[in-house]
Amino acid sequence: MRRVTAMTRALLPPVWRSLPRRALAAAAAVGLLLAAVPRLQSGPPDPLVGLYSLRAAALVLALGLAFLLDDPARHITSAVPVRRPVRVALRVALVAPWAALTWTTALLLVPESSRPPAGALTLEAAATAVLALAAAALSIRRTRTTEPGAAISTWLLATGVTAALLLPPDWTLFVTPDDPHWHSTHDRWTLLLIVAAALAARSVTEPLRGRPFRRPSPEPL
Amino acid sequence: MSTALETPVRAAGPTHRPRPWAAVFALARFEARELRMNMSFLALAVLYMIWIVWQTTQRQSDFPILQNVDRGTQMMPVLIGLAVMLNVNRAVLRSRRRDTDRHFDVLVVEPWRRTIAHVLSAVPAALFIAVCVTVQFTWAALKPGAVGHGSPAELAVGPLTVLLFGVLGALFGRLFLSILAAPILLVLLLFAMTFAAPPSGNNWVSWLYPVVSETGSDAFPSDLLERPAAWHVLYLVGLALLVALLAVLASGGRSTVVKATVAASLALTLVGAVGQSGGTPAGSTPARERASVTPEKIRKCVEHGRSSYCAFPEWTGRTADWAAVVDRVQKLAGGRAGGERLTVEQRLDARYGLESDTLLPPSTEPGRVTVRTEWGGNRVPEFAVAVASVLVAGDEKAGTEVCDARVVTIMWLALGGEADPMSALSNVRVGDGVSGPALVLSPTEPFSMSAEQTRIVAELLKKPRYDVAGKVKAKWTELTSPETSMARVAELLNVSAEGASDGDACDE
Repeated sequence: MRRVTAMTRALLPPVWRSLPRRALAAAAAVGLLLAAVPRLQSGPPDPLVGLYSLRAAALVLALGLAFLLDDPARHITSAVPVRRPVRVALRVALVAPWAALTWTTALLLVPESSRPPAGALTLEAAATAVLALAAAALSIRRTRTTEPGAAISTWLLATGVTAALLLPPDWTLFVTPDDPHWHSTHDRWTLLLIVAAALAARSVTEPLRGRPFRRPSPEPL
Repeated sequence: MSTALETPVRAAGPTHRPRPWAAVFALARFEARELRMNMSFLALAVLYMIWIVWQTTQRQSDFPILQNVDRGTQMMPVLIGLAVMLNVNRAVLRSRRRDTDRHFDVLVVEPWRRTIAHVLSAVPAALFIAVCVTVQFTWAALKPGAVGHGSPAELAVGPLTVLLFGVLGALFGRLFLSILAAPILLVLLLFAMTFAAPPSGNNWVSWLYPVVSETGSDAFPSDLLERPAAWHVLYLVGLALLVALLAVLASGGRSTVVKATVAASLALTLVGAVGQSGGTPAGSTPARERASVTPEKIRKCVEHGRSSYCAFPEWTGRTADWAAVVDRVQKLAGGRAGGERLTVEQRLDARYGLESDTLLPPSTEPGRVTVRTEWGGNRVPEFAVAVASVLVAGDEKAGTEVCDARVVTIMWLALGGEADPMSALSNVRVGDGVSGPALVLSPTEPFSMSAEQTRIVAELLKKPRYDVAGKVKAKWTELTSPETSMARVAELLNVSAEGASDGDACDE
């Protein structure tokens, strides 16, 4: 146990250095900018603008988090004695406080009069973020890619817009607070969060047996 | 003796003319294939094709109105455009991410030519959308119930949107070196599309966005739409060209030709933007006023059987479908109503613009039935309800005010001839239930139905049609009299009158 702690401590600086800090900072900045839109608007407070600016902010933050597991040196670090779950957990632990801080600031940036229920929106944001992380973890487990962030961000955006455009009314995820289905919709968000978290937990473990990979690099130069 | 070593003189220079564009096209073909084989693009393309099939095979779209179908093709390509944009962007930045820019620097293909190749790689995706849009529209147009006219300009918007998104991906790739820039900019763009401009299409700002799909409850005749669709296509073409050329400029192609074309495409975009700046008229125009207030000057009347059917010119092919419903309802009616001559009139209120939800006042003239521009699905039983209420109450105004026991006769007449009367009953009622009180929809004003009336109608609809039809015809005068009580109607039609309170909707 002590060995693991010591190793974790030794890992902290290199993991901190290898975080995609610029992407995360850019995402946080744009997210806060989006959350500030209702405050910048003149005229009477519009709860709809507050809701959608927070949703857009959550999506942008999740897009940033999709890059969290990008590690150009992944094939080298796979040889270190600390297992992948610890390394991933370290990354998440280093970023989580900042993400929470950004999200709280975003919530507070929206004026009270046009702020949707904070708990429900936080649930949506958390589900989106965990979904992005789960997809990145799965992509790392299943392929040999070192930087899944770009593909995952495309995938996340496409899924989000598809869900908004095509989900049938009984299954919709994006409702307004005055909708009678607000609570049942958030049960679905909770379910999504649980499924994504389980998927992420399942995907961060290093595969026990080396599976025969397909072609080493499907992406050309 | 010394020998002078002579090197043989080699012909200097290439043996054939350089062909830089061949490399550009080869790269474009390769990148197009990469895009095609990309998982996100493939998945969305499959989803899009499934959506087209699902959309076109819906029961509601058995009677498509082509001037609405063409606009309906515009929104979904945005989804594909999103995938195209992000993938083109990734392709542009790939050489930087993989640190192969240095290798490309020694090639004869300059960076700006590579940009052109990336821009061209979005063209096959746009062509794919064009094919899909054509299939979707042609499929709808070939349906026997199709009416109206599509506009090629509206159909071109989908493919052009995809092209524009792809080109934007290339530009973002040249302007911002981060792979995260394009997704974030896309979110900002979508957010702005939703909120920066008012959602209606009568504003010049909203026409700056690629897709302006205005939908309301009623379909308009195509000459009343007055959307600046052709200008919008010009604007989109100009904008796509402009963005592509800006990407070329940003990657170092600064030749006079490029600069001149940038100026030309900017002019094209501005001309399109100015041309469309009027937007769709929000309120009334002379043509809309005429169609709403004095439609009889525009409508054409066709005789089918006893009755006459007046439709706007584009809808005359649909009068036979209306006649079938009228005949079906009239066959069940007794007395003079069974042979009454009706006039079915198509009406709409276009004075409040494309996106309004207008309520038509019921007609007060005897024997006139209103039909709206939409048809198919729920609109059929709703029209049948209007026909039945005119047959029972005399005119539409009186028909919508009926709340006594005649509601039972009206509803049975309207739905008794349906193939699946119970589902038709739930469809015409607000709330989709077959018990309890509810509002019944009709082409004009809705009317209410009490719980007891609903129970009797539902019971009647479950009985064999010939059984009820005989009783209705035999007791027609009594059934259509406002004085007859609910208990008496139940007795006449041989239905148990268990409702203790003889409640009709008038009391509520």
